Amino acid sequence: MTQVGTQTQQPGPGRTTWEPRIIGFLCYWCSYTGADSAGTARMQYPPNVDIVKVMCSGRIDPELITTAFANGADGVMVLGCHIGDCHYISGNHKTMVRMPLMRRLLAELGLEPERFRHEWVSAAEGEKFSKLVAEMTEQVRALGPLNWPRLLYERGVGHGMDLKAWGE
Amino acid sequence: MTENTRTAGVPGNGGGEEPRIGVFICHCGGNISDVVDVHRVAEEIGRLPSVVFSTTHTFVCSDPGQALIEQKIKELNLNRVIVAACSPTLHELTFRRTLARAGLNQYLFEHTNVREQVSWVVADHELATQKATRLIRAAVARVRHLVPLEKRRIPIHPSALVIGGGVAGLTAARDLADRGFAVTVIESAPFLGGRMAQLDRLYPTGQRARELLQPLVDEVVRHPRITIHTNAELLQATGFIGDFRTTVRLHPRGVDTSLKNAGAVIAVCPEEAPDPFNYGLTKRKAIYLPYEGCYPPHPAIDWKACTKCGKCVEAAGGAGIDLGGQPTDVEIQSGVILMAVGLDLYEPRRGEYGYREHPEVVTLAQLNRLLDADGPTGGKLVLNGRPIRNVGFIHCVGSLQHKGIHPPMPDGRINDYCSRICCTTTLRAATELKERFPQLNIYDFHEDIRTYGRGHEAYYDRASQQGIVFIRFDPQRPPRVERDPRGEAPLVVKTVDRLTLGEEVEVPIDLLVLATGLVARDMARLVDLYRCSVGSDRFLLEVHPKLRPVELAAFGLFLAGSVQGPMDTVESTAAAAAAASKAAALIAQAHVELDPFIAKVVEEKCSGCRICLYVCPYDAISRDDAKKVAVVNQALCTGCGTCVATCPCNAIIQFGFDDAQVKSEVLALLGRQPALAVAA
Repeated sequence: MTQVGTQTQQPGPGRTTWEPRIIGFLCYWCSYTGADSAGTARMQYPPNVDIVKVMCSGRIDPELITTAFANGADGVMVLGCHIGDCHYISGNHKTMVRMPLMRRLLAELGLEPERFRHEWVSAAEGEKFSKLVAEMTEQVRALGPLNWPRLLYERGVGHGMDLKAWGE
Repeated sequence: MTENTRTAGVPGNGGGEEPRIGVFICHCGGNISDVVDVHRVAEEIGRLPSVVFSTTHTFVCSDPGQALIEQKIKELNLNRVIVAACSPTLHELTFRRTLARAGLNQYLFEHTNVREQVSWVVADHELATQKATRLIRAAVARVRHLVPLEKRRIPIHPSALVIGGGVAGLTAARDLADRGFAVTVIESAPFLGGRMAQLDRLYPTGQRARELLQPLVDEVVRHPRITIHTNAELLQATGFIGDFRTTVRLHPRGVDTSLKNAGAVIAVCPEEAPDPFNYGLTKRKAIYLPYEGCYPPHPAIDWKACTKCGKCVEAAGGAGIDLGGQPTDVEIQSGVILMAVGLDLYEPRRGEYGYREHPEVVTLAQLNRLLDADGPTGGKLVLNGRPIRNVGFIHCVGSLQHKGIHPPMPDGRINDYCSRICCTTTLRAATELKERFPQLNIYDFHEDIRTYGRGHEAYYDRASQQGIVFIRFDPQRPPRVERDPRGEAPLVVKTVDRLTLGEEVEVPIDLLVLATGLVARDMARLVDLYRCSVGSDRFLLEVHPKLRPVELAAFGLFLAGSVQGPMDTVESTAAAAAAASKAAALIAQAHVELDPFIAKVVEEKCSGCRICLYVCPYDAISRDDAKKVAVVNQALCTGCGTCVATCPCNAIIQFGFDDAQVKSEVLALLGRQPALAVAA
């Protein structure tokens, strides 16, 4: 059986160790542009966070986050515009309310809270973005791989679930 | 839909033909290829199912690069294109146009960012190559779910509404009317001219503000295509780009053009109120003219001060004054709206540097009124009849505020920004004072001096040559203003001068001028009616400071001037002209084309629960009560997708970001069935 967290690894020469796989859902106007400005400033940060672009953090459906965790993500980041700077007036207000609920839901489903992070990153905050990615990578690395379907199974959550459906 | 996309077929869209994906990986002249092994990536991606072509190019955005895409689309009958290059903010549009030229629907395109978010941030070649491969694999999975989209076409009424009759609003109105469009200007005050009319001489030319304003006002009021409403209050707004309907309440002016003896009529008025034109330095009558040469040229009545005693009606001989006028409402149709409501001046707190505690403390705006030859003192520098020997200026009052030092504004925020105009305005006023009254001693207390614009530094140089004393204070320990215990002067300013390495100074002052900053006006009504984005500094927020600097995110709304942030008249007129030209480019077309990334309700899934109605920031969703389903207004929707995430029935899709597209991307990033995640 392959561990979900390691499944995506294409070990290069001399690389066989596990690396955290983190999905970052970023709003286009602030955080995605913030990530771009980190790039323009050539700030180096770990390659573990893969960015999925949405127009507004208000678009980030909790189901997208659970989809990521259920399919092998070891961590998920949600980044949006600061409150008061939303390109769509108040899309991020919904994010602000949803994400704490999301964190509680994930905790109930057996996830360590450090695997999920919600922050505001403006278009100018390239440095904040790169720091967040580095921090997130290290905190997820410290926790080790998440094998969520197995975790649920072992804890009796979703007992009787067919793990094949999760790719096990 | 173009002919080619019809034949190309779309999976999941009743097409039937398999996706044929072309992938073009850019070297960016080494910016990418020096770190990412682009050839290896192209080879790995080329092995994925449905990818019929995968290559690299030195500069995909160059003419030969784009020609290659066009050629391969035609030659290999590609129906999806991926370019892996810089950030999509730079060239996504470029490549969409390339697709369109090749006859392929421009939205069958995906731009993958492997420069800003890979090669420039990951030094390790192996890890960067892996990351680039992952991202492009996700794009391959995503493009399988793309469907051809068409831009929304919305008819445009060839007219504009300009909100605000200051220099920015007037400039924008004139420019738009000159281009042949009907323009309506609404101004909340009874007179045009705004803040600029209150200024005396303007940097950098030293010309008088009202002399510059006069020809502009003349042009606007005489323009056959401009309608002006003063005393206008925004009441309601409906509609959207192309067809806004704004209802404005016109409050009665009380006076009309048939009034002949305005001077005598004003003289008999027994009521007085502080004159806001002179920033409260003087009083004015309840029936008044703010300044000579104002427009409209006949007086207005200040209804708050007027007791309707009727003395003015008597003096006027019964003609030209109506104290019983009622407001009327008018609806204004316009294709676009320009926001030109300007800004406010920071009003110092009572006791801030002695303001409103000591009569010797005035604001810079008040000083400008005192310097004005047409001002309350006829340009003489008089204060309580006392000769003035020492004048002090304190910079950054209400600007560059620091947490923990300055108490927050009523809304809890601090003004941490630079107000831009106050340094040069201060130095201009100080140099004028020194020229007109050479015996004065002038002290300039500053945390920092920012004379950033063309010609601004000359004022600093002149001030230095004139012997104006510059004292730099520590922002952590701002100057203290006290009564002078020795009675040498009314006030003494105490501070520590950083320019003399921490020397404690006590300066006797007869007149202290606070260089107050600029703050956003209370625009709650405007923001609410038109769904404007507001920045953390409370000014209105543009879409992007460089790419779309004078547009609001809601379509058809433009920012003209200092509604967007602190600006001087030079910048304000430039911003207004920019807004007018962007607005003109839009309404010059009969139709506007908008990106199709909007939300759509799948009626069969919608339960009619209304949740989406409440989350939409633009009120773009309504409920069809006959069908009991939600309906998205195509012209109002800006495509944020908040409703999509909210809908409990998954009944709303967002074109370009629907669940299947985003999820397939996530799955592919995680290595789940890369490129094979096809929608059921």
